[in-house]
Amino acid sequence: MNFIKITIFKLNYSVFLPLWNSRWIVLPVMTSIFIMAMIIGSVLAAPREVIEGDVQRLMYIHVPSAIISYFAFGITAVSSAIFLINGKMRWDAIARASAGVGVLLTIFVLSTGAIWGKPIWGIYWTWDARLTSTLVLLLIYCSYLLVRNLGNANDTKAARYASIVGLIGYLDIPLIHFSVDWWRTLHPQRIVFDIRPSLPTEMLIVLAIAFLAIFLLVLWLILLSATTEYLHQQIGKLSGDLEQMEN
Amino acid sequence: MRTTIIVLEKDLRIAWRDKAGWLSSLIFSAILIFIYAFAFDLAGTNSEPLLPGILWTTFLFSGIITCNQSFQQESVTGTLDAMIASPISQTSIFFGKFFCNLISLSIIQFMIIVLGTIMFQVNLINIEVILAIFLGTIGFVSLVTLLSAFEYRERFRAVLLPVIELPLLIPLLLAGVQASSSALEISNTSSPWLIFLGIFSLWGFLGSILLFPLVNEK
Repeated sequence: MNFIKITIFKLNYSVFLPLWNSRWIVLPVMTSIFIMAMIIGSVLAAPREVIEGDVQRLMYIHVPSAIISYFAFGITAVSSAIFLINGKMRWDAIARASAGVGVLLTIFVLSTGAIWGKPIWGIYWTWDARLTSTLVLLLIYCSYLLVRNLGNANDTKAARYASIVGLIGYLDIPLIHFSVDWWRTLHPQRIVFDIRPSLPTEMLIVLAIAFLAIFLLVLWLILLSATTEYLHQQIGKLSGDLEQMEN
Repeated sequence: MRTTIIVLEKDLRIAWRDKAGWLSSLIFSAILIFIYAFAFDLAGTNSEPLLPGILWTTFLFSGIITCNQSFQQESVTGTLDAMIASPISQTSIFFGKFFCNLISLSIIQFMIIVLGTIMFQVNLINIEVILAIFLGTIGFVSLVTLLSAFEYRERFRAVLLPVIELPLLIPLLLAGVQASSSALEISNTSSPWLIFLGIFSLWGFLGSILLFPLVNEK
């Protein structure tokens, strides 16, 4: 991931360099610590919800995963836009990596939501506004991955097409949200970002730890996946050059 | 403007010559209406609540087939590459294709509305329904024209384009169905669906104009 290093140099943010150089040590360690804290916090430290019972503990992974999946798709959209402007394949690698992680996270969100929903709503799935918009988002980014996978790592045409889908899909989110919201809604109203939080402090602390844990995990996975993708691109380029030399 | 008219003329001429293309879209939409009538037993029940959904899914499916044809032939014959390499601006190509698809789809939609009015005994020729269809069609045609410009191998094209297009068009489908339901007095919705359709179309139109030159590099 030399290119991020170069960008950092260009921006003269040398203060981040030691952190960047030790990313493969810092990220796994930090992620493991926070995930352990999240598990212990959600199972042992957080109080049992009076009405919903133990199943409510799923909130500590469900809510952060849902919000951070938007962050992952946001990275895809921004990287896609940059790729469309400057045509550098490194941005396509980041976009593809974060879309993959975002899709995994969204599947996880929908699965945990179904498990949480069954004892509370009595059903695994309902055509509620937030569930439906998350499902549409999943479909959009699955189609992004489908388009991108039609070409190999160095296929600029597939990368360009996928970037357009990634960008337009993200810009479609507010429209999906409003249309589905007006269509119908059943989901509990947001309680995390209200000015006066209705969650007890202990729950909020565990939730904050869970946010950080899942954020670090996603960051690590995106970095890993983008690095792999970037290396694939380099290998493809090298083998192309070798073939040319042989001919 | 002149180049847009030239591209439009060319596309309309191709569409007119390729009768099998637009005729198959036209017949496909008619068949879809019949299929819905059989599947939901529309003859035996009160079909009104189902009509907006039937109308809009028929528009969507037949529209995707119609618009996807606009680049298919040119992509195979190499005309698209020649057009991109020519001094014509990509925006002119987009506008030419956009208006050609808009005209083709409007003809199909007119036929569906007439057919629906006759078969389901509900007057679909209503100014509010037509306004909703018109607004929705602009957004629909913009997005589908943009995405149809993707050059795929024939094997993937037929399946992949609807897979990409349909999830992006879900807000349009919802708004179109709700606006039509409200216009036909089937449901009393307080949400401003017509305004939403207008916003979606504006978004789709502007987004497509901006992104179209990036689909195929000069």
